[in-house]
Amino acid sequence: MAIFRLYLPFLDDVKAKGLKTAVKNKYEDVVTRVTTGMNSNDVRMLLRDDPVGRPNPRLKPHTESFWFHIKPTYYNQLMDGFYPTFRLGWLSTYFFVFEIITGIYLMIFYTPSPVVAYENMRNILSNVPYGDLMRDLHKLGAEAMVAVVALHMLRTFVTGSYKKPRQFIWLTGIILLGVTLFLSFSGYLLPWDQLSLWAVTIGASMVEAFPPQIVGTTLNLLVRGAPEFGAGGLLRFYLLHVVLLPAVGVIALSVHYYKVVIHGHSLPPESEAVGEDTAKRVPMENRVYFMPKIITRELFYATGLTGLMILLSAFIYNAPPLEAHADPLVTPLHITSPWYFLWLQGMLKIGDKVLWGVILPTGLIGMILLLPYFEVGPSRRYGARRIGLSAAAMSVATLAVLSFMGSPWYKVTSSPDQEAVAALAPQTHPGPLREAPWDQLAFGTYSASEWAAAPTPALQKLLRIFDEELIGAVGPEQRDAEAIMVVEDWQTDLKKVTLRVVWTNPDGSPYEFSQSVYLHRDSEYGGG
Amino acid sequence: MKGNIVLGTLAMLGLIGAVLFVSLNELNRMQTAESAYDARAVETGALEFESRCRPCHGPQGRGTPLAPALNTASLFDGTRLQAAGYAGTVEDFVRGTIAAGRPIPSAGTNYPNRMPTWGEKFGGPLRDDSVDSLTAFIMNWEDRALAEAAATPEVPLAESVGNDIAQTLPAGARGKTLAEGSLGCSACHVLTATGPAWAGDGTTTGIGTRAAARIDEAGYLGGAKTPEQYLLESIVDPNALVVSGFQPSIMPGTYGTRMTPQDAADVIAYMLSFK
Repeated sequence: MAIFRLYLPFLDDVKAKGLKTAVKNKYEDVVTRVTTGMNSNDVRMLLRDDPVGRPNPRLKPHTESFWFHIKPTYYNQLMDGFYPTFRLGWLSTYFFVFEIITGIYLMIFYTPSPVVAYENMRNILSNVPYGDLMRDLHKLGAEAMVAVVALHMLRTFVTGSYKKPRQFIWLTGIILLGVTLFLSFSGYLLPWDQLSLWAVTIGASMVEAFPPQIVGTTLNLLVRGAPEFGAGGLLRFYLLHVVLLPAVGVIALSVHYYKVVIHGHSLPPESEAVGEDTAKRVPMENRVYFMPKIITRELFYATGLTGLMILLSAFIYNAPPLEAHADPLVTPLHITSPWYFLWLQGMLKIGDKVLWGVILPTGLIGMILLLPYFEVGPSRRYGARRIGLSAAAMSVATLAVLSFMGSPWYKVTSSPDQEAVAALAPQTHPGPLREAPWDQLAFGTYSASEWAAAPTPALQKLLRIFDEELIGAVGPEQRDAEAIMVVEDWQTDLKKVTLRVVWTNPDGSPYEFSQSVYLHRDSEYGGG
Repeated sequence: MKGNIVLGTLAMLGLIGAVLFVSLNELNRMQTAESAYDARAVETGALEFESRCRPCHGPQGRGTPLAPALNTASLFDGTRLQAAGYAGTVEDFVRGTIAAGRPIPSAGTNYPNRMPTWGEKFGGPLRDDSVDSLTAFIMNWEDRALAEAAATPEVPLAESVGNDIAQTLPAGARGKTLAEGSLGCSACHVLTATGPAWAGDGTTTGIGTRAAARIDEAGYLGGAKTPEQYLLESIVDPNALVVSGFQPSIMPGTYGTRMTPQDAADVIAYMLSFK
């Protein structure tokens, strides 16, 4: 007598009905289980969009399946067009998932320690198959996500969809916007190069300004793990990036979408009477069923968009190249915070750090968060909300202006010599000199004003930039300013390019500024 | 609906195609990226060398009386490794020496200071990647240093200036080049505070004026009668007078045998120009 007897009903079935029938039955069984209620014929009819009988097998997954239970069974036809959603909510979710998948791939090869993080990045970019592609995808996806989420918020405001009964959806949405921004911002630090360290330092310096001083100092210590970024700060930002913020994101997103389904997608404002909310009452003739219409479309969108992202990352878009290793002692010229926080940097240039960098933004965010609870006008019609829509337009314009003010083009004072040199050899990206064809940098000493006489086209172009930048930057005191470029043979495959600016000071003494850049034949800055 | 399925299938095929297309070039791309990052390490190392190493090892690593040449065949052909009793590769030797410094000098050398420790792990200022970049930069001299040694035979040194400070020196002209170049004076007397600065500032005068005043001072016990003699004495016999605030024997005592009379004249003329 065996202790253990293997019992396979399938074998009994084979004995009773023959192999062919048994296999067919088993196949049907598996399909029905996987689709939680539809057999292979139902699936075939679904894909052909055949008319469906009763009871409708396509509704079963909505009650039985984990993945489909949260999706509405049908949508209002008015919501089916490009307007009014522009698919922005769906796109936000798509990018969230997209970032998680590409992020996990990058996580495998990354250690959050200043000792090896930079080396890990080098490894990802030069030694990991698809490492460069994944980094480009992750970065491009992050930029797109910030834009899409912000536009989603703007759209929700414009169509008045935040109004009763959807106030809480708006609130969770603002939390998700914050999660998106801070996910992007915390990820910025991880490559641990000069660009990432200093861009994040600028952003994080706001925390320190929080009044009163003891609170600011403590918050700063909590965020950075030390007075300045180092091992502690990198680890904290990494944990924020891969654990805390994604967790908050998943929870807020679940609540956000659950509420959307509970209240129904808000209809275009002009399609219902003022003060009414008919989203949940969809007349029979206006219903568009999730299966098959919406699901096939969403699958098409997901594959198409993923294909597009891969094509863009592989052939057009390049994430910023890895700069020099992070160095807390050397601040690069013209460093800025990431573009979505430039408005904040712009506000800091207006005045007091505490008022413009902490109090005002915090107040604004609080106001936006609670907007639907005090902006309680009943009408969602555009005509009835002139003040609100004007305020939105004004805010967008103000953000654009503030972002410009945050950029290096606005009110950044540095001397003309440094500006002219930085135009050729910037400290935040490769720039024209490093990207110039190496072979065309002929040895010799060249004066920028005589750029036309330079022996190669690349040198002519560089000298011309040098000359124009210097002429554009010098004041009346430095009229005799002269820009000189010296190219020397330094080592095997290594050239030394010295950029020098000289002029006579008002007191007659000579002034000189020079900076050397070493260029190797194989350094491939143009290749990204 | 049907359109969506067709488009979705096409998109999926396109997606797979795009990934396959990336795969075709992926190995090549990885190799290019690898060599690009190695090349950038050489560039970083060159910058690092200018600020950290050049003061002692000289421009282009040609060596000064303070520290040996690096851009030279003896480093790459194994001579130096043998002198230090090192059994590993040249690259490891260079990296190890930069990071940990040298506690004892190599046999047969008499440099005034030991190589300091530069690596963070050993108490120096440089991160590991900076040490690696410097190593990459120094190793990049190998081809040219070996080729140069093969092409140029050893030239016997010209007549040296000796220790007689009363001799008549020729007229000097190219002192600045020498002081900042092969003799390496500026490494200690201009760039660092290892020795008295030559140039004057708000409170002290330049070395030319000081030399003239020094020989008349009460505490001066040397044999110089003119500023020129005083400066020559300080160069060839540095301990004859140790300026207050500095330790004796920091300056190498070997300049008398290393410089030709013309060199000495050039440097002294240059020093006297600091008023």
